[in-house]
Amino acid sequence: MPLNSVDDMEITSTDLGLAARVQQLTKTYGAGESAVRALDGVTVGIRRGEFTAIMGPSGSGKSTLMHMFAGLDAPTTGHVWIGDTEITGLSDLELTVLRRRRVGFVFQAFNLVPTLDVTGNILLPFDLDGRRPSALERSRIDGLIASLGLSDRVHHRPHELSGGQQQRVAIARALATAPDLVFADEPTGNLDSRTGREVLALLRAASTEHGQSIAMVTHDPIAASHADRVLFLGDGRIVADKPRQTAEQISAYMLAAEQGAGLQGAPVQASAVTA
Amino acid sequence: MNGRHWLRERGMGASILVSAISAAFGVVLISASGYIGAMLRVDPALSDSETLAFVLSFITFVLVGLAVYVAAVVTANTFSTVVAGRTRQIALLRLIGASARSQRAEVARQGLIVGAIGAATGLVLGTAASFAGIVLLARALGIQGVGYEVLRPALVVPAVIVALTTWASAWVGSRRVLTVTPLQALGSSTESSREEVVRRTGRNVTAIVLVALGAVLLAAGIVIGLVSPLGVAVAFVGGVLSFTGIAVGAALFMPPLLRATGRLFGRSAVARLASENALRYPERSSRMAIGVVIGVTLVTMFAVALESAKAVMTKAAGGTLPPELATPLDAFAGIMMALVGVSAVIAAVGLVNLLTIGVVQRQRELGLLRALGLSTGQVRRVVLLEAAHVTITAVVTGVVLGIAYGWAGAQSLLGAVAANPEHEKAGLVWPAIPVPVVVLIVLATAVLTLVAAVVPTRLATRVSPVEALAAA
Repeated sequence: MPLNSVDDMEITSTDLGLAARVQQLTKTYGAGESAVRALDGVTVGIRRGEFTAIMGPSGSGKSTLMHMFAGLDAPTTGHVWIGDTEITGLSDLELTVLRRRRVGFVFQAFNLVPTLDVTGNILLPFDLDGRRPSALERSRIDGLIASLGLSDRVHHRPHELSGGQQQRVAIARALATAPDLVFADEPTGNLDSRTGREVLALLRAASTEHGQSIAMVTHDPIAASHADRVLFLGDGRIVADKPRQTAEQISAYMLAAEQGAGLQGAPVQASAVTA
Repeated sequence: MNGRHWLRERGMGASILVSAISAAFGVVLISASGYIGAMLRVDPALSDSETLAFVLSFITFVLVGLAVYVAAVVTANTFSTVVAGRTRQIALLRLIGASARSQRAEVARQGLIVGAIGAATGLVLGTAASFAGIVLLARALGIQGVGYEVLRPALVVPAVIVALTTWASAWVGSRRVLTVTPLQALGSSTESSREEVVRRTGRNVTAIVLVALGAVLLAAGIVIGLVSPLGVAVAFVGGVLSFTGIAVGAALFMPPLLRATGRLFGRSAVARLASENALRYPERSSRMAIGVVIGVTLVTMFAVALESAKAVMTKAAGGTLPPELATPLDAFAGIMMALVGVSAVIAAVGLVNLLTIGVVQRQRELGLLRALGLSTGQVRRVVLLEAAHVTITAVVTGVVLGIAYGWAGAQSLLGAVAANPEHEKAGLVWPAIPVPVVVLIVLATAVLTLVAAVVPTRLATRVSPVEALAAA
């Protein structure tokens, strides 16, 4: 891990207790008249060991922010750190290796490689790295498989699993490398509400029991109510940063924000910015 | 489907190319055999020119039939792949009231248009090539007085056949349209990884019966060949039957071979992803490979048959083969290899095309893999290995089959001939393998693999994880 030299007194993510952070992050799509500013000077950190929800309506920039955090997309201006590594300006290969080793992903759908079985999918980050998990990692992975209820499914292919089981496999894969940060992008979006609650409880448990840092993008107040901290985005800016909230509080806040925006006649950002 | 924009869809260009090649091939062969026939009639020394002309027409018929058959397999495969990629669009049209039958007829109609464009192009190019070839040949050999009219109604026959078979292939390939439900336009975006397992018991039984019967006849031909050269006729029928069985049962015989090749690549993530991809749609991959198998088998067969025959005759002649025997044999085998090689070229076009469509249809998966840490270098290796997987399997299978058939042919024809100046029979002889031809085939495989990987690699490395994952 590159550490700061003595004459560079800049404070690190570790000093701040952060798993990842962004500074003055701006992302603009297009140019000239048609330019859309998806992120507008965002500075925020994801605290280590916490389960953070990133909320906001469609087009608020929440998915864009996650893509920047995860090294999937490059900012127009600003800086991104994962752990103490600044990732802005890294080459595609460096970013790829960093994602492989230090970031975990749970997407809304199409999380798993259809040709690989459950074990193959969970071990994919190790296989891509050309190594086998160590004995320690192996026992953690076995523990994950057991605690996620996948023990009798390890040789199944994704199409033989239910939606909830597929998400649990994705969670196991995301946690397998004990990454600096796990990103979950609408992880319950395709699930029925009961299965969705189970998935959220599993993410929460990973955070409380194993100290895993998790950032979850969602527009569902119930999903966000499982998080330790809720960040609200609107028009490409962080508009609120709140500790654990109930679903009612979150809904009320979002409704008020939406109505406030409507009263001021502020145009809603083009929803093409985020998926 | 307004206008002709579907013609720009990936796969259509290749289908036009495939039908153009087979139509042009038919036109050129008809012209060539017609011209040779005319030459023979002019030459008073050849009394039996009618029989020769008949043999020529027969060979033409078989070769064109072969090319059209391979083209039909390739086209049916292309259309079935294209239809798989259109599932959502078809489902949407079904949702707003289109019937499955009308949708399928639409796909078949597109096949007819593609076939007609390709056939017309092939007709024009083939006719031009025939003109040029005859003029050049006449000048080079100093032939005069052969009145041969290139433009004749018969040339339209291969073009029409190609257009109609392309239509029929598109119809066969569009079977899947019938299984698309309107709900698939609304449903979740999770895609099924598996081809619907269609049990084609009838076809598989036919294939096995053909192969078994053919093998028995081949063996009988070889045994009869030990006492009489007529064994080759029995062996020929056996060869045609067993080879037809292999082609018909491609989906039965190829997947185990593909799986075996996959094991050779090792257990790394890249190798596993590549070999699983090649087996993801076993039928598609099998048909993709079988065209190449057919071409390579036939080329190898002619080469091995010639080499084995030459070996026997050399022994019979007491050490050296007289040049007046060697030259026409070499020429005949060379021409036949080039002619059956055309089917291999058609199959190669189909293979390149299908690999490309495969990558296009896997954008989301590639996006996921890139997000999870597959580097662009690894993407390149996956695509290259995937191409190598199919080409290596097809070519090795083709070479092995070709050696077997070529040897069977030579053995059944020459087993009873005098093998040495003492007039002993040749008995069983080893297949003689022509090294230059095998080297050429291996080089062609390598080139085909690289060519097949170029476009898909470019497409695959361009995939941005963010865009691929956003495209629901």
